[in-house]
Amino acid sequence: MRIVYRWVTMAALALSSVAAYASADFEKTVPAQARGTVEISNVAGEIQVSGWDRPEVSVRGDLGAGVERVEVTSEGNRTLIKVVLPSMAFHNGSADLKVQIPRDSELDISAVSAEVRVANVQGVQRLNTVSGDITSELVAPEGEFKTVSGGVRLRGHGVTARLHVSTVSGDVHIEHAAGDLEVGTVSGTLRLQLDTASSVRAHSTSGDVSFEGQLGHGANFEATTVSGDLSVRARSDGFRYEVSSFTGDINSCFDVSAERTSKYAPGKTLQGSRGDGAGYLRLKTMSGDIEVCDRK
Amino acid sequence: MTEPKDPAARVSSLAELPRDIRPPRDLWPQIAARLDTARASSPLAAPPSARRPPRLQWLAAAAMVASVAVGVWIGRSVLPSGVPGPVRTATTNSSAAPAAALVDAAFVTDPRYQRQRAALLQSLQAQLATMPPETRTKVLASLATIEKAKQDLEGALGKDPGNALLQELLVNTYQDEMRVLTDVHEAGGAGQGT
Repeated sequence: MRIVYRWVTMAALALSSVAAYASADFEKTVPAQARGTVEISNVAGEIQVSGWDRPEVSVRGDLGAGVERVEVTSEGNRTLIKVVLPSMAFHNGSADLKVQIPRDSELDISAVSAEVRVANVQGVQRLNTVSGDITSELVAPEGEFKTVSGGVRLRGHGVTARLHVSTVSGDVHIEHAAGDLEVGTVSGTLRLQLDTASSVRAHSTSGDVSFEGQLGHGANFEATTVSGDLSVRARSDGFRYEVSSFTGDINSCFDVSAERTSKYAPGKTLQGSRGDGAGYLRLKTMSGDIEVCDRK
Repeated sequence: MTEPKDPAARVSSLAELPRDIRPPRDLWPQIAARLDTARASSPLAAPPSARRPPRLQWLAAAAMVASVAVGVWIGRSVLPSGVPGPVRTATTNSSAAPAAALVDAAFVTDPRYQRQRAALLQSLQAQLATMPPETRTKVLASLATIEKAKQDLEGALGKDPGNALLQELLVNTYQDEMRVLTDVHEAGGAGQGT
């Protein structure tokens, strides 16, 4: 009986130590400046960031197996949150972080496969992942969102901002943004909806691009693909347009037909002006089809 | 042919100058005679069959065939097969070894671009190795997409070289390739300080 009791005790101790290694809660709060910079790095798991009114940064985390510790340091106007893995466990530790930062902070996030979610942060956002998805609320005047294979989903409130988005294979979905947008992908799909755009540059190699929204007065709109289709519904006071496809079809609601660029080679173009002609719209593709209209 | 005017006369416009000047004597007969002499004394003047014995001709032909065969053998078995090869479908190939072969075209000849591109390609394999397998596969597929786009555009430009649309899209595609290589380079190092 004593032997059995000893074995049970040892097993319980072993299990509890494994459990302690496998998962741990983390919580820390440090003072921070209202307009400082918060930098977060995490390999895998999740990073949720939200802005609040307090001059401090709060970090709560669920640290999975393989995570050694979380460092949270604050010095001057810079707060650093770093998930540290053991040196031999490269890219194998996962941590779910919930971070609250002063609303006007600048935010820099670097992740590998961690999913990133940001809400209510009004400072400049620079969010980078390798394969993790990025979801953010657009309330900042400037944002840079970059991922290799993850998707990017941005939702705004019509606040004017300068946005730079790039993916390699991830899809991009933007809603209710405004201002300047530069977005590029290789094979992802770009679905863009802007309340008021002053400048849009969208480029894709094989992914389809669709845009719907209002162009500001004198706005520039440019979208190009190699083989992806282009679908643009851009309401505006007016713009000059130049629409070209080498082998694809061109359809518009402009009551004009595309003309061949050469008698001997493929290629079609549609050029003209709508409304006051103050803006400029250029759509170009090699083999994709183009559909363009200035009505909803 | 216009006769030269008195050189001492004052010239007030180009129109007054002679359009050409006749040489003082005809030089051609002397030149022709010299050429004939030189041709007669040169071994090249003889017919080809008389210049080289038939056995030497066969030896030369055999050496040429042998050198071409060696060249083909080196090309097929010694050099890496993917450089410069056709586009590969890398979607299922997670090995990083052929990654550089996916982006082998070199349309842009600016040396700085070439240097930077070569450096990024050299580190591509190492950077891909640090990425999750799924991402690695997607990156390779994207590079294959870019390579195919480049080939399609270059093929179309071959048929219509002056097409500004294709030229612009090709430049965009080269820029995309650099962006992807740079992104992969940066992303590969993203977790290293963690």
